[in-house]
Amino acid sequence: MMDQMRSQLGRVRGLGSNKHGVGHWWAQRITAVALVPLSIWAVVSAVSLTGADYTTFQAWISEHGNLVLMLSFVVAMFHHANLGMQTVIEDYVHGEATKITLLITTKFIAAIGAISCIVATLKVALTG
Amino acid sequence: MVEFTLPANSRPTKGKAHPAESGATNVRTFHVYRFDPDSGNNPRIDTFDLDLDKCGPMVLDALIKIKNEVDPTLTFRRSCREGVCGSCSFNIDGTNTIACTKPIEEIKGDVKIYPLPHMPVVKDLVCDLNQPYAQYAAMEPWIKTDTPAPNRERLQSEEEREKLDGLWECILCFCCQTSCPSYWWNGDRYMGPAVLLQANRWIQDSRDEATGERLDELDDPFRLYRCHTIMNCSNTCPKNLNPGRAIGEIKEALAKRQ
Ligand code: SF4
Ligand code: SF4
Ligand code: FES
Repeated sequence: MMDQMRSQLGRVRGLGSNKHGVGHWWAQRITAVALVPLSIWAVVSAVSLTGADYTTFQAWISEHGNLVLMLSFVVAMFHHANLGMQTVIEDYVHGEATKITLLITTKFIAAIGAISCIVATLKVALTG
Repeated sequence: MVEFTLPANSRPTKGKAHPAESGATNVRTFHVYRFDPDSGNNPRIDTFDLDLDKCGPMVLDALIKIKNEVDPTLTFRRSCREGVCGSCSFNIDGTNTIACTKPIEEIKGDVKIYPLPHMPVVKDLVCDLNQPYAQYAAMEPWIKTDTPAPNRERLQSEEEREKLDGLWECILCFCCQTSCPSYWWNGDRYMGPAVLLQANRWIQDSRDEATGERLDELDDPFRLYRCHTIMNCSNTCPKNLNPGRAIGEIKEALAKRQ
């Protein structure tokens, strides 16, 4: 307990405001709003493509509009998931070391997941 | 980590039972949380059977009757007994509220009285509020201006004044503060609904000239954005205020200047 002798006001002021609260909050809302139409589109597309063979799917994903929407969906989803996980971790995990490890791990997983989805989508769409 | 169970030495045990005086007909049972840090014992729940025919109508009247007539060691805060000082806030019948405006009649069955949740207990129903008081002080709850003081009062239009309604009435009882799960888990960094409502009282004041600085201080993922709009705060406020909405107004102001 390093803070034991510190005044209550000093403890509350702590290291001061980080001045970036609103950015995180805003990104969470924006990705949430974007995900509403994008998820509906993704589900509808998946349903309409059930049973389709690879050539049909390849033709579908290489259409400009579909490719753009698919990539937007991937980016918005992983970004939103990462922000959501960060909030949950910050809410419930209190040991500094565990917290930072978990936060970094989540970011890496989200980044690698997103990049791998993007690469896979582009591969199919552009090379067949 | 979040704790879902009480530490072993904080678990309440069954305490003393005080029966009603003989001849009482309108008896109600009160379960009251007792804790004496000097005794080294766990907290206990004492029961008091009171004759409501010889007791005032509010929960605070019952507590005062117990202290005066049954057990003078019962410790709790109270002052105004009319809902303006904010001292007598407890967890009553499972909800945080002030005892002096809570009619016993509104409670079905036995009446349970506990200290405000998730705060360190000093003794019985008195909890340590130093942290929320310091958080309130950190909001610098006074007018800040650079314009030289006028010779008369600082003017406000009726519309400007109306923005303070629903904010100035707060009595700092901390019922909302201690009902908020985000405050339970992260009270050391999250300012909490009562303090944020007070901060908004100054952010919305047209006479204040430090709005930007005040927002700077709150633009923080912990100080403000730990609020996830769970709305326990607004449900529990004994003055029917809406801290959840006040927090929304601060977030709105921050979004506007993005
Ligand atoms: S609305 Fe915000 S401040 Fe109120 S109880 Fe919920 S999280 Fe806490
Ligand atoms: S907003 Fe209501 S519950 Fe919260 S401190 Fe003020 S009066 Fe009490
Ligand atoms: S005694 Fe003042 S608010 Fe209850």
